[in-house]
Amino acid sequence: MGTFIVRRLIATVFLLIIVSMVTFAIFFWLPKLGGQTTYGLATQYVGRNPTREAVLQVEQQLGLNRPLYLQYWHYLSAIVVGEHYNAGPVTAYCPPPCFGYSFKSQQPVWPQMVSDIPVTLSLAIGASILWLIGGISIGVLSALKRGTIFDRFSMGVALAGVSLPIFFTGLIALELFSYRWPIFPNVTYVPFTQNPYLWAKNLVLPWVCLAFLYAALYARLTRAGMLETMSEDYIRTARAKGLQERTVIVKHGLRAALTPIITIFGMDLGLLLGGAILTEVTFSLHGLGLFTIEAVQNQDFPEIMGVVMLASFFIIIANLFVDILYAYVDPRVRH
Amino acid sequence: MREAFSLMARRGVFGLAAIGTVGALALAACSSGSSTPTPPPSGFNKATTSVVNPSTHKGGTITFDNSSAPDSTDAGNTYYAFNLNFTRLYATPLTTYQSCPGKCGAGVVPALATSLGTATDGNKTWTFHIKPNVKFEDGTTVTSQDVKYAVERTFDRSVLPNGPSYFATLLAGNAAKYPGPYKDRSKNLMGLTAITTPNATTVVFHLNQPFADFNYVVAFPQTAPVPPNKDTGANYQNHPLSTGPYKFASYQLNKQYVLVPNPQWNPSWDPQVKQLASKIIVNLNVNANDIDNRLMAGDIQVDQAGSGVQAAARAKILSNPSLKANSDDPVNGFMWFYYINSKVPPLNNVHCRMAVEFAANKTNLQTAYGGPYGGSIASTAMPPTVLGYKSFDLYHALSKPGGDIAAAKQQLSLCGHPNGFTTNIAYRSDRPREVASSQALQASLSAAGIKTTLKGYTAANYFGTFAGVPNYVHSHDLGLLAGGWGPDWPDAYGWGWALFDGKAIVPAGNANIGELNDPQVNKWFQEMEAASSQAQRNAISEQIDMQVMKDAVLLPAVYAKALLYRGTGLTNVNVNNYYGMYNYGILGVNQK
Amino acid sequence: MTAPLEVSTEAAAPESVLTGVGAKAIEGRSLGQIAWMRLRRDKVAMAGGVVVILLVIVAIIGPFFVQNPNIYHANLINSTFSRPNGPFGGISVAHPLGVEPLTGRDMLARIVIGARYSLLIGFLATALAVVLGVLAGVIAGYFGGWVDSVIARSMDIFLAFPLLVFAIALVGVIPGSAFGLSGNTLRVFLLVFIIGFFAWPYMGRIIRGQTLSLRVREFVDAARSIGGRGPYILFRELLPNLIGPILVYATLLIPTNILFEAALDYLGVGLIPPTPSWGQMLSNAVSQGFFAVDPMYMIIPGLAIFITILAFNLFGDGLRDALDPKSR
Repeated sequence: MGTFIVRRLIATVFLLIIVSMVTFAIFFWLPKLGGQTTYGLATQYVGRNPTREAVLQVEQQLGLNRPLYLQYWHYLSAIVVGEHYNAGPVTAYCPPPCFGYSFKSQQPVWPQMVSDIPVTLSLAIGASILWLIGGISIGVLSALKRGTIFDRFSMGVALAGVSLPIFFTGLIALELFSYRWPIFPNVTYVPFTQNPYLWAKNLVLPWVCLAFLYAALYARLTRAGMLETMSEDYIRTARAKGLQERTVIVKHGLRAALTPIITIFGMDLGLLLGGAILTEVTFSLHGLGLFTIEAVQNQDFPEIMGVVMLASFFIIIANLFVDILYAYVDPRVRH
Repeated sequence: MREAFSLMARRGVFGLAAIGTVGALALAACSSGSSTPTPPPSGFNKATTSVVNPSTHKGGTITFDNSSAPDSTDAGNTYYAFNLNFTRLYATPLTTYQSCPGKCGAGVVPALATSLGTATDGNKTWTFHIKPNVKFEDGTTVTSQDVKYAVERTFDRSVLPNGPSYFATLLAGNAAKYPGPYKDRSKNLMGLTAITTPNATTVVFHLNQPFADFNYVVAFPQTAPVPPNKDTGANYQNHPLSTGPYKFASYQLNKQYVLVPNPQWNPSWDPQVKQLASKIIVNLNVNANDIDNRLMAGDIQVDQAGSGVQAAARAKILSNPSLKANSDDPVNGFMWFYYINSKVPPLNNVHCRMAVEFAANKTNLQTAYGGPYGGSIASTAMPPTVLGYKSFDLYHALSKPGGDIAAAKQQLSLCGHPNGFTTNIAYRSDRPREVASSQALQASLSAAGIKTTLKGYTAANYFGTFAGVPNYVHSHDLGLLAGGWGPDWPDAYGWGWALFDGKAIVPAGNANIGELNDPQVNKWFQEMEAASSQAQRNAISEQIDMQVMKDAVLLPAVYAKALLYRGTGLTNVNVNNYYGMYNYGILGVNQK
Repeated sequence: MTAPLEVSTEAAAPESVLTGVGAKAIEGRSLGQIAWMRLRRDKVAMAGGVVVILLVIVAIIGPFFVQNPNIYHANLINSTFSRPNGPFGGISVAHPLGVEPLTGRDMLARIVIGARYSLLIGFLATALAVVLGVLAGVIAGYFGGWVDSVIARSMDIFLAFPLLVFAIALVGVIPGSAFGLSGNTLRVFLLVFIIGFFAWPYMGRIIRGQTLSLRVREFVDAARSIGGRGPYILFRELLPNLIGPILVYATLLIPTNILFEAALDYLGVGLIPPTPSWGQMLSNAVSQGFFAVDPMYMIIPGLAIFITILAFNLFGDGLRDALDPKSR
């Protein structure tokens, strides 16, 4: 078990390096192939009508005129050992992990990302609790009441949930419950430490919309899994042994049906933590997803690199966690 | 990819699944009634000509929301229009724009200086005296050295890249080579030789050319004093030391900053601003539609960007008389237009360019930019807010706003393409108005036989890599390029030099995208700055405007207007003629 | 991709999950006729299938029957409010689905042509993903060893990328004309490439799992015992047994890819204007606030997306149920 984890951790680092290489190539190298000059690139980060000297200075400061592999190496090493940055009269030091300085605001990227993480975390975890509880219980009930109106209705709604894009449901939710009937006015993120009630209240709409999407899925999965396990022989045995129905359902049926769902949940959560871009854009919650969009729109490369690395990190770690869980459960997997 | 293993999922009744659709239809059936409290109406557009809710009441909190963020809160590092307005709350430049309703609001008056600059040596030397006993928020007295240092630090573009470049281009002496105080290794650290400070309250600027408009140049917040020993370079934005009525209480990059009254401030230092509210909160990167809704609901008082409400709010406001009475639709000094590049064939022939001017359907363009309340149809290369503006209509934009295809066809045969030609239209794909207007332009030009292909680029690198790079424009046949512009100051030089002077053409980040290099126009710009009277300068402005339009390097679309909504409880609401939005320096609020 | 659309990705479940369950699922081509009979009896799935076929027909020939989607009708718009005159977005005999706010362009035409692009990109991207995924999955599953490791790790790499970011970045970075293509053709190719190229690991994982389980089955041993070697076994024994899951998951992948394309349009990196696209209409409705002024501009494309996705899902579900011997 130990070697398995160690091997996978090493693979994780390797994966992250590859992700960083590809990101770097896409954002720095491809535009060059398309004919962009470093001078032209630098003009994006200067005010209107800059002098030639101004642009050259910016080019120098942002390191744009260095060879790509040097820029890349500098970027990677900054993550590990930190970076000294010319902030004017002083030289700023950005401690590791240092994801560089924003081209636009000349401020370190990592603290900005860190301040955005709680938003994405709140969104992801809150929604995930909702969809786990909601989805699984509806799935179980549907499986048990298979064929009834309840079953048809809930599976129908579930189908709607997976067929509607989040930016559509989110928009309708906002229009109805935030603008027209101000039940949830002013949807902005309020930190939990500042005001827990407002924090929860403002997140209700995004939670519900996001959870609707996933709950639908999990309900279908649970239902299918339950139907499968409940028809197994060992369930019949358990019933024959005289166990209470509730024990049969929960302890034997549900547990078996849940194992694959839990692994999927781990991965979904990992992906969401990387930034639920569409949800955050729709509700303008300042998490990693919105940070990503703004970084791309501003062509702020250190921010883009930083958030991509962070998102990949979450995804890989979630994958790893799920794989470890599975290896723990199923010894055949540790090949 | 969803289900990974074989599952038995029953599908429910299809019709019951459309919960989202039901909700949406409920939306459609409802009328756009507003549930916001209706404020007492004071008259549509009243704030463009007078001060609405004048009051000296002190106290309360003014909340600003912004759909993006200032380029920097450091007054020496900013260029955004709304920020030039807003920074006066904590940074006092040598001169500023007058806080007065109507046209006088576009005039410069002294702020930190005791009077407007004294010009000698044929407008090449400018002397300013600063008010004595002006203090920073920490109690230290402002000296002329602080003003000189403030300008000097803006020369280090590696640290402060955003501000205007006028000082770098106009100052004499070592300005061309000066690397800024952080990197200055010269003997005795003399700094900029072109700025001298004979005593603690006098600053003298030595220019390398006559420049009559220099009072406008020092109105930029780059001249707001900065104490050298407290300057933290790129981090100064976190807490710039205030010389204005407010100072920074907190700052979270890209999220929010809060200002509180500066106890050191004395109203005599800058009579154009007031210290009324007891707290000013600025929220950044808020969703634009959210801003409008919050504004109308009274949750916030001002949209900091000041460029007007979105379509949804516009419809609500204009269809509700009491909401409309609480709004203003000023001409905000900006213009939206299309550059017509004069080097890309066949537009290198002026008649082909004129054909484009005649053929464009101005009404459709106006609709794309927001309809009559988003702008009025433009026919000149300068907006009406520029000194010396005179209306004329060379290409029937006003007389035939639907486009004059007959005249266009006439021009086409004159330029040798009687059946039209093909070219490309460049625009910024993340600016919805430009996406709409470029499609409108494409549709109207095709009626004259001019076939165009749309090429969208991201706004961030539009000027740096594509439209603003003449080589790229030539090699990719970008004949028509969307653009917008606001004036650096309200006369023809401050508006048009970067757009129309041949010397302004640069290899990247170019704003003279029409690539006009008309020697007469270039000469006129120079003469403007050497002219001694405003009347002379106005006359030259008219000539420049007329010539640029004759050269047809600009297809004007609209003189931009912005539908602004007066926040609940705001006092002293007045649209300043230069900033084109509410004067942020004088606002107060009717709260405790 | 399901991932960036905040839709679950249990398809990326660890191989062991898929191995265990997949092995029970598909029996082979002999089931085909049985499956078809069962599918036919499933009314809801058939309804989905019919809608899919209708959509395809509309997408192919519809554009020839609708008006020009790029003609402006300024007289049908109230430019002050930027909305169509008349209720429900200006529905009339001439414009059965109303007109667009701001431009007055016919909505029906734009929806139909948008259908063409959405379906085209959805199908092509899925095809790409299927081809790459099946190839990778079968090779990895059958040969095992280091081949398997390499392919499995490269799938991991692809799954590690935040796809939406890359899609946005890539589209923004590729110039207007490259590789001999330009304009919308290039853009379509680019979208197909991005969506398909990032979707193949999902298919790959499933097929790999299926192959792993099939590989140890008796019929493979039998084939080997009569002298069959790698390629023979791959193509004549394994692949036919994989047709079932390939078909099912391809059908379920299409709606995901259509959604992905709509999301890219929504974020501004989809097709080039004035080409109509559902996602772009939704995006305009949102970003410019038209949804409050002219809700139909949001509802109609939203419904179009919804119906398309739903139909594919229903049909795909039905297909899977029909192929699964354990259902009912």
